[in-house]
Amino acid sequence: MDLKDCYNFDDFRNLAKKKLPSPIFHYIDGGADDETTLIRNTEAFNQCDLVPNILASVGKPDLSTTIFGKKIDMPIFLSPCAMQRLYHHEGDKASARAAEKFGTFYSMSTMANNTIEEISNISGGPKLFQLYVHKDQSITDDLIDRCKRSGFNGMCLTVDTLVAGNRERDHRTGFTTPPKLTLQSLMSFAMHPSWVFNYLTHGKFKLANVASKTDKGTNIAKSVIEYINEQYDPSMNWKDAEYCIKKWNGPFALKGVMSVDDAKRAIDIGCTAIMISNHGGRQLDGSRSPFDQIKAISDAVGDKLEIILDGGVRRGTHVLKALAAGAKACSFGKMFLFSLAAGGQQGVEHLLKNMHDEIERNMVLMGCTNLKELNSSKLIYRN
Amino acid sequence: MNLKDCHNFSDFRKLAQKRLPSPIFHYIDGAADDEVTYARNTSAFDDVDLVPNVLRGVEEVDLSTTIFGKKLDLPFYLSPTALQRLFHYDGERAVGRAAKKFNTMFGVSALATVSVEEISSMIDTPKMFQFYFHKDRGLNDSCLERAKAANFDVMALTVDTITGGNRERDLRTGFTSPPKLTLASLYSFATKPMWGINYLTKGKFELPHLQDFVKEGTDVNSSIGNYFSTMLDQSMNWKDAENLCSKWGGHFALKGIMSVEDAKRAADIGCTGIMVSNHGGRQLDGSRAPFDQLAEIVDAVGDKLDVICEGGIHRGTHMLKALSLGAKACSGGRLYLYALAAGGQAGVERALEKYKAELVRDMKLMGCTKISDLNRSNLRFRK
Repeated sequence: MDLKDCYNFDDFRNLAKKKLPSPIFHYIDGGADDETTLIRNTEAFNQCDLVPNILASVGKPDLSTTIFGKKIDMPIFLSPCAMQRLYHHEGDKASARAAEKFGTFYSMSTMANNTIEEISNISGGPKLFQLYVHKDQSITDDLIDRCKRSGFNGMCLTVDTLVAGNRERDHRTGFTTPPKLTLQSLMSFAMHPSWVFNYLTHGKFKLANVASKTDKGTNIAKSVIEYINEQYDPSMNWKDAEYCIKKWNGPFALKGVMSVDDAKRAIDIGCTAIMISNHGGRQLDGSRSPFDQIKAISDAVGDKLEIILDGGVRRGTHVLKALAAGAKACSFGKMFLFSLAAGGQQGVEHLLKNMHDEIERNMVLMGCTNLKELNSSKLIYRN
Repeated sequence: MNLKDCHNFSDFRKLAQKRLPSPIFHYIDGAADDEVTYARNTSAFDDVDLVPNVLRGVEEVDLSTTIFGKKLDLPFYLSPTALQRLFHYDGERAVGRAAKKFNTMFGVSALATVSVEEISSMIDTPKMFQFYFHKDRGLNDSCLERAKAANFDVMALTVDTITGGNRERDLRTGFTSPPKLTLASLYSFATKPMWGINYLTKGKFELPHLQDFVKEGTDVNSSIGNYFSTMLDQSMNWKDAENLCSKWGGHFALKGIMSVEDAKRAADIGCTGIMVSNHGGRQLDGSRAPFDQLAEIVDAVGDKLDVICEGGIHRGTHMLKALSLGAKACSGGRLYLYALAAGGQAGVERALEKYKAELVRDMKLMGCTKISDLNRSNLRFRK
């Protein structure tokens, strides 16, 4: 199996599974508790159907849209994901370059392995930074200042990760702290020698953006979960979010909004966007899927801020459904991480090309010439 | 596999299956007829989604709730279950001590294998006695008096076992009377020697609440179904329940209420609580799941008595859903019985610790700091 055999989510996932040591694969692939929300995130799209219009003379549809003040060439972008160097030795650099090539957003996690400055040097494409509010406010302030200086276009504050989710696959594989190297996980690393070779020969693993401020999390032995529970401020409230917005003073989103009330409140404090997300089903299992919830939110606030649907997207038709229900764009994490693991920058480009072609083909089949034509009249819900 | 590998309900179940002779495991694990209701009890929770609120400041979470006039540190307690010394030689002693450690209510069955007097001398935390209405009125009076003398806080009359359910796994494994020792069951006892040794050496198996009155049931060979069918008074009616309630003179609950009509009637005869329960799917297969029925009952009587949701609970998020609908607390039997079989008191404590950690984490992710913050506005039903 090779990159050229990858036509869809499952293919990229299968190839990633081949290339990655299993604790790392399952860290990407797993969700919280029983993974019911993880499954529902994708399944929710099947509860409604697209209704095409025919004979619409569409030609080549225009897929562009504008988010965070930037026009992008297609209505999808890469969600911020931590520690991308674990999945491919080029990590964030590969994702950022691929996104630039397709004229869309690359997003950087607070817990990236590259610095804000490094990425801004190698990519002139649109960039979003994902922020966590740390207990130590100087860490938060420093991140915002550096993003401003480095020309990042937008900022999103993650609000669904006050405490780490219960990812039971990680308990079992030993993706924990201290690393529980079971015979099985050792075997798995031994069976993936090229991953290990690249990992060891391409520079030290560190949480580059916070490395100078804290010794926590700079060692892979400190797992993400521990970093979240130690460093993030669980008392974070609306005042803190407002502070970040004022300090950033540019396009700003809350990532992880699920209730209509919170969406309204996001407008009041000056957000220009929200990302409807349950963190890919990795936090609160049993919580609602973004697509199930988008209509209620877009009815309430769709004319006042940009809505981004994050979670469960695997197909061009999923994107079309989300846009018809009121999203301005969609973002995804797992899907591009699998493509990154499968083939680095080339893998991500291959995925973005596939998705671009799917969206374009589906727009033609729907009889739509631009994204504005996607509205609720194109959707019928089964119940 | 070991206790430390147990992270959730199904892990404890797997370990219990390893430790127990199969007729005993299947006695816990099985349910009536085709086990349709048993499966629905849990899957009912998947038809509703949690909608979190963000940025609420959730450093400290208070899980305490008050039922039957007693403040518990957790919003769930341990349902009364029969024959616990079959599952682990410490039986009720292990479960009672674990309940005490977490300051939650311990339910003691009329078919317990440790006496109310011993339990009362062992733990001073809230205790519930579960009562069956026997044909032998002398036996009934004795149970009531002994529970009262032993300072039990709540009396719960089980009303859904007027005859034994059709537990077909028990018919097959030979958990019946007379014991049908098939080759398979003999083999199963022979391959779990530790269970056999502990069972034979750690004190005689007794049913202390019944043994002065009946021959049946004091012998483990007599099946529970048979016991229900021959010993219990099938003419039991509302008058009998009312008499028991006034005779007890304290907090009194009916366990196994499913209809709104009955719930109202329970309030009328002076009950201070009801357990919405179908006996863990072990009695009437095809009957409604407690969670499916909860809202109607809470709407009708939630302001008059404590409504407890019992059955199907595997996860902290299941409890949050029931509490959001208006249950005052949740309870479960298998919830801790597998853990008891897996590791005695240490097993039950580990299970309680896991559920407690789930609840704290899930409350934070929901943006809630106390149980009364949960309400129906943070639920969405899919249909």
